[in-house]
Amino acid sequence: MPEFHRREFLKLIGASAGAAAAAGCGDKVTKLIPYVIQPEAIVPGIANYYASTCQECPAGCGLLVKTHEGRPIKLDGNPDHPVNQGALCARGQASIGRSYHPDRYRSPMKRVDGKLVPTTWDDAIAILSGEIKRAGNRSWVLSGQTGPTASAWIDKWVDAVGAGGRVVYEPFAPEALRKATQALFGVASEPVFDLSGSDLVIDFGSDFLESGPSPVEHARQLAAARDVSKPERRSARFVYVGPRLSMTASNADEWLAAKPGSEGLLALALLKVAIGAGGGTQAGRDALATLLEKVDPAAVAKQADVPLATIERVGKALGAAKAPVLIPPGVALASRRAAATVRAVLLGNWALGAVGKGISIPAQREGRVASYHETLALVDAIKGGRVGVLLVHGANPVYSLPASSGFAEALAKVPFVVSLASLPDETSERANLVLPDHSPLESWGDAEPRPGIRSVVQPTLRPLYDTRALVDALLDVARAMGPEVAAKLPADSFRTLVEQSFAGTDFYAALAKGGVFAPQPGLEVTLVPSAVDFELAEPALEGDGEFTLVTAAGSMLYDGRGANLGWLQEVPDPVTKVAWQSYAELSPRAAEKLGGLEFGDVIDVETKAGKVSLPVVVRGGLRDDVISIAIGQGHTVGLWASRAEDGHPGERRGVNVIDLLPALTDESGGRAWLLTKARVSNAGRHERLPILQDSQNQRGRRLGLAVTLQELASGGAPVDAVHGTADAVPVAGEAAPGQPAHGEAPGAAHAEHVKAYDPTKDSAPGSLYRWGMSIDVDKCTGCSACVVACYIENNISVVGEEQVRRGRHMAWLRIERWVGDGNLEGGMDRRPIFPASESSTTVDVRTTPMLCQQCGAASCEPVCPVIATYHNEDGLNGMIYNRCIGTRYCANNCPYKVRKYNWFDFAIERWPDPMYLMANPDVTLRGQGVMEKCSFCVQRVATARQVAKDEKRPIRDGEVTTACAQSCPTSAIHFGNLKDAASVVVKAGSDPVRGYHSLHELNTRPAVTYLAKVKRGSVEG
Amino acid sequence: MPTLLGIFDSPTGVAQAVTHLKGRGFTNLDVYSPAPFDEIEEAVDPKPSKVRLFTIVGGLLGVLTGYAMTIWMSLDWPIVIGGKPHASIPPYTVIAFELTILFGGIFTLIGLLVVGRLPSVKLGPGYSARFSAEEFGLIVEVPERDVAEVDGLLRASRATEVSLVAA
Amino acid sequence: MTPPPGESIAAMIRQTPVPPDSPTNRDVMDVFMTTPGLGWLLLIGICLGGLAGGATVWIYQIYKGLGIAGYSHPVFWGAYIVTFVFWVGIAHAGTLISAILYLFRAKWRNAINRSAEAMTIFAVFSAQLFLGIHVGRIWKAYFILPYPNQRALWVNFKSPLLWDTFAISTYTLISLIFLYVGLLPDLAIARDRTSGWRKALYGTLSLGWQGTSRQWKAHARTTLHLSGLATPLVLSVHSVVSWDFAMALVPGWHATIFAPYFVAGAIFSGFAMVLTVMIPVRRIFGLEHILTDYHFENMCRFLLLTSTIVTYAYLIEYFIAWYSGVEPEKTSFYLRAFGPYWMSTWIMITCNGIIPQLFWFKKLRTHIPTIFVISTLINVGMWFERYVIIITGLSREYNPAVWGHYTPNPYELMIVAGSFSFFSILFLIFLKLFPVIPISEVKELLIHDRAHGSGHHAEAN
Repeated sequence: MPEFHRREFLKLIGASAGAAAAAGCGDKVTKLIPYVIQPEAIVPGIANYYASTCQECPAGCGLLVKTHEGRPIKLDGNPDHPVNQGALCARGQASIGRSYHPDRYRSPMKRVDGKLVPTTWDDAIAILSGEIKRAGNRSWVLSGQTGPTASAWIDKWVDAVGAGGRVVYEPFAPEALRKATQALFGVASEPVFDLSGSDLVIDFGSDFLESGPSPVEHARQLAAARDVSKPERRSARFVYVGPRLSMTASNADEWLAAKPGSEGLLALALLKVAIGAGGGTQAGRDALATLLEKVDPAAVAKQADVPLATIERVGKALGAAKAPVLIPPGVALASRRAAATVRAVLLGNWALGAVGKGISIPAQREGRVASYHETLALVDAIKGGRVGVLLVHGANPVYSLPASSGFAEALAKVPFVVSLASLPDETSERANLVLPDHSPLESWGDAEPRPGIRSVVQPTLRPLYDTRALVDALLDVARAMGPEVAAKLPADSFRTLVEQSFAGTDFYAALAKGGVFAPQPGLEVTLVPSAVDFELAEPALEGDGEFTLVTAAGSMLYDGRGANLGWLQEVPDPVTKVAWQSYAELSPRAAEKLGGLEFGDVIDVETKAGKVSLPVVVRGGLRDDVISIAIGQGHTVGLWASRAEDGHPGERRGVNVIDLLPALTDESGGRAWLLTKARVSNAGRHERLPILQDSQNQRGRRLGLAVTLQELASGGAPVDAVHGTADAVPVAGEAAPGQPAHGEAPGAAHAEHVKAYDPTKDSAPGSLYRWGMSIDVDKCTGCSACVVACYIENNISVVGEEQVRRGRHMAWLRIERWVGDGNLEGGMDRRPIFPASESSTTVDVRTTPMLCQQCGAASCEPVCPVIATYHNEDGLNGMIYNRCIGTRYCANNCPYKVRKYNWFDFAIERWPDPMYLMANPDVTLRGQGVMEKCSFCVQRVATARQVAKDEKRPIRDGEVTTACAQSCPTSAIHFGNLKDAASVVVKAGSDPVRGYHSLHELNTRPAVTYLAKVKRGSVEG
Repeated sequence: MPTLLGIFDSPTGVAQAVTHLKGRGFTNLDVYSPAPFDEIEEAVDPKPSKVRLFTIVGGLLGVLTGYAMTIWMSLDWPIVIGGKPHASIPPYTVIAFELTILFGGIFTLIGLLVVGRLPSVKLGPGYSARFSAEEFGLIVEVPERDVAEVDGLLRASRATEVSLVAA
Repeated sequence: MTPPPGESIAAMIRQTPVPPDSPTNRDVMDVFMTTPGLGWLLLIGICLGGLAGGATVWIYQIYKGLGIAGYSHPVFWGAYIVTFVFWVGIAHAGTLISAILYLFRAKWRNAINRSAEAMTIFAVFSAQLFLGIHVGRIWKAYFILPYPNQRALWVNFKSPLLWDTFAISTYTLISLIFLYVGLLPDLAIARDRTSGWRKALYGTLSLGWQGTSRQWKAHARTTLHLSGLATPLVLSVHSVVSWDFAMALVPGWHATIFAPYFVAGAIFSGFAMVLTVMIPVRRIFGLEHILTDYHFENMCRFLLLTSTIVTYAYLIEYFIAWYSGVEPEKTSFYLRAFGPYWMSTWIMITCNGIIPQLFWFKKLRTHIPTIFVISTLINVGMWFERYVIIITGLSREYNPAVWGHYTPNPYELMIVAGSFSFFSILFLIFLKLFPVIPISEVKELLIHDRAHGSGHHAEAN
């Protein structure tokens, strides 16, 4: 036998192994190279957190950017930040996707015979500087949302290069609010609301939990004001005034479905009743006496289409309230009389003594603020051929300006259009030159949500592509224009400029903390004499037609900027649960009038300005004379915003409701949205909408329970009464709407409430932990921040419209929206169920986050033939992807339906370059054919366990939390160890009355304890 | 030793012939028949077939294997599944039952082969296609001196023909 | 006979001429075990086409993912499992006829049991295909076997799917053994009457069987024991399959009646399938004198019985749903009859519950075309029964937020069609290769009657 050396043997092994590997997978081979010189701050596998600021909307929430080896992989809220205090909304969570977006411009682009082609920065800057030299003061800048420092320097730049000027344009800018504040108090600033101390909040249609000035902050404050665990807070009430039961309205106690545009009148009428009932301050009464004389509640009742009795009842309550807050209308209801309406509402606040308590009037901002009429003026200038070069950044006017403004056509007339966008949009695609900006995570910057709060933006990702920070690019252009221009501007980079703007404070401390937070008290304001003399009439509406067109500003897409982020498209609208598509909302009666329209039937909506066709969603929560269409869809550019990923690049996804609006302003020159009537006709077609919740009627099943305030106060029977063993719990029968789903179970009085953890039923008594969760349905607003957080933390694939239409979305956590206890109607056909009972004026909507319940007696485990799912000693329901063969039996047998299946190889198909860079390295991407589900963020538990182990101690309470709990603005979700009696989760979960287990009668022994919604009922004077 | 083959066309005939021959002490005989007939089998060998022993052994082995395998495997690495006991007998009974049948069946087949002396490479003396048609063959070994007697005896019990197949 | 003096007795050895062969042998062998004709080739050609189609789709599905099928949350099981259960059901006739009727000494079974047994085995094969087609990661499907591995990770014997694995594979093996044992004597007959490759084949397979009395005795005993084993087995197999559903807590699945209900349904569909297949076979090969109307009538009686049992089960399901007072159950069953899937439900009730009742009339029971039509309708009805149970159950579960809808799409239907082709191909080959009528058993009756001249099998010949 020939001699066979060890080395040869090893070579052979290696070779065969290599061959096997090569055969085993077609993936491209990539080299792993360890750090040659280990960076000080980075330990591979250990995450670093950097404070920064979210730039998704003007709220300016603080971020903690979680990075692994220099790659941001998740955005958490910054606990030290006064605005969001550790929470982060859906849009903020999703904004990480802007940095890893496949669409991104990877270098400067210039237009060569009609097409944008890559070029170099030197070339691009040379071209632009030349163009500006030529155009001189015929060059204009159209800005979007920018930080104060950037904004200031852009203005300086405009002067330096001798450009014509700069206009700031933000679709949702609160101009009416500034104007009204000025008219009342003489300072044009945006009032700051603090609801946390209030006992009566009346929202005149601002939808402040969705598209308001600071959704996270206000959600937190509202929850604090209505926290039923504090008996003194139980009296706090929330009334919503508006034509549509929006997500915000769904959290209200009472809904006044007032005629859109009548909010101001209604406010005054309520005020009159309130003051009549002895409410308000002395000063307030005197000041408003003359104004209120002209107000006749009876007449208003007719105009607003709200019963006089209701006005009087609510008005009395308003008068009796100790700390009321009235919130002026937001985008959806910004009519042509917006300023006057806001003025009336703010006046109410002042008269009731809310100013200084619930509302503070900050000092006026320096620097340029957004102005719609300036924008329209610029459009006219362009039409008049008075603009030679137009630089656009941070805004997408081609999309968000009404088509009737003629901007798109005008833009074609501009000789040279420059876009400084980072992601392609309708505007940048029309530019002659694109100077790509850094993504928000790559650039420096700052934000000032309100005076005194200066939040810093620091780069956490090395620029992925050949991009330049906006201001740096502009400075380079100025330098290229010659020394005399350059001399007028600093030689520094934008980073230095930002640092200089923090002069006088410790910049590095600010970086560590996230900014400089010295909240200033509001100004001591007095009413200016002319404040009360103003006319308030119903706003005029363009055109004719039986419906008033209401443009809802959604919580996901905002003004449309969210549309190109897959998560915001795939996570459904919190109210209708439709994803990826546009739809028009109509009331059942209206649908009946139009020939019995059903869910998905297509209608034509026509106004003077335009016409669109889209499917309807018929739901109770809408006035009969209103048609509501959400803002944000209808893009023609963008992988997810348009239908590019469905293989139809350039085609609109849904419709752009803005095309239906005339380009009109309110009396203050601010942008108006509530503008027109609409003609609606049945198109006779049907479309299958991608919907994620097939029924909002829970049929009396015990998914979302509720108690009345009385039951709670009297410490009545538990909603989820346990009689002896859990097995003996009576099964949910038909409950008449209004009754608790389980009926008044016999002996409920002496029944004991549900236990989050039952030692007698513990399958691993030896273990230290039984991870569990408590979810307060009363605090959950349905905002879906947790859902997006879950997507990003756990590398969940966004599967796209077609798969969602087939119900194949992969969300591990979803928010279920239930209207009351439901009844036994519906389900007879293939249409989703929207209960008509939603139209009730006493709102009873329960939003229950549904995730894997980590059952103690999990029905999914025994049916798996290969033990791919099992129970670990910490009480978690483990899912072993590598062991799963995909029989899908577990998913069939899960009564909560929280298991998701990889129908395709989503992990490959749905993570285009460079998205895979943002995948959480602690969580595997799931392959084709395996089941997946919520793991209670087991990777976080593992990390905490390692730390605890090193320190030879058990994991502390609060040391580890799940992504959903972390992101929740209202802290409705608590996570922790059920075996630790002192833990927050146990304290929160062991509410003697409200605690319940979802579908308790099945005896799955869930680790999630829900706390029932509290029905506070209509407000009483 | 000479071997005589008597050919019959009815099972009863063969059966009678067999009884007579055995009565006369010619026990070294066998019958080819196209189909099973109790009377013949009775006549040739009244004792019940041994196959049943195989079946019972197989069955018992099966049920033991079933329980042993399931219980041992669940205890080898005890994993909590749906909060149920590691070794839960009711579900394992299904497995045990199926294995009982499986082993029982396989052993029975083996039994057939062993008892029926199968497989056998060469066919027996005097076997011909007639016996897989509709005729019966009685094959009997007799000492040369008794050939004549047996011959007569066969014919007496209505053998259609008698022939000598081996000397 | 005495040898002439001086001569050895050996001189008297001589071959006697072999008389003409038995008509029964000829009937079977000349009719079936011949070189295939044009019709046969055409038929198998079509089936091969269907099989190719199904196989292509399957390969594409393995490559792309189960998403190409019509699945949609929450309906995680669809046409594949429906057809799996359907085939397992078909597979029950054979063993039932061979085993149970054997124990009951119902001699009339002899004419049909061979084809029924063959059908059983081919149906089980088709069913097993779907276990593979249905799983998401077929390349890991071997995980389901309790094979030793260095991770000491075993399988979950608490899972009904594992019971399935054991039950189905046991059933396959036992049915094969049963068929083979029955075939042995006939293979010997074939061996004695063929030449060339066929002789080699039958010679090997028949293991040198020569029908000695000890062999026949062992054979009889074996058949008896196998019947004894197969009878509980056949009952257990579909019970286990039914437990795949009954063990889950899905409304509409979670019912104790499922085992008997499924077994009855299986026998029902099995017999229907035997009729659907054997009526044309009898016609084409002209076997009216072996497969008589008498056989068919008896099977119709069986259909009548099992149809009534199945109908009873339908009714009980609804009664229990109402009586339990469990709202999800009630809703599930209410929507089963009047919800999105009402059509499937009523097809099922009509084909399985109402139409077979026509067999109360002897006229229809003995009118072959009617039998053929009805038995075919029953096959359709039984497919829909499984469709209704699985789909309506899953589409309307506990959490109304995740109610959904499923309809099989062309891909799935192509695979289903492929499985029917697969079944037909195997059966067609069997027709040409093996005695599809159990010759020796039929012969046993003939000879027996001739010998005892008794006429109590008059109808049978």
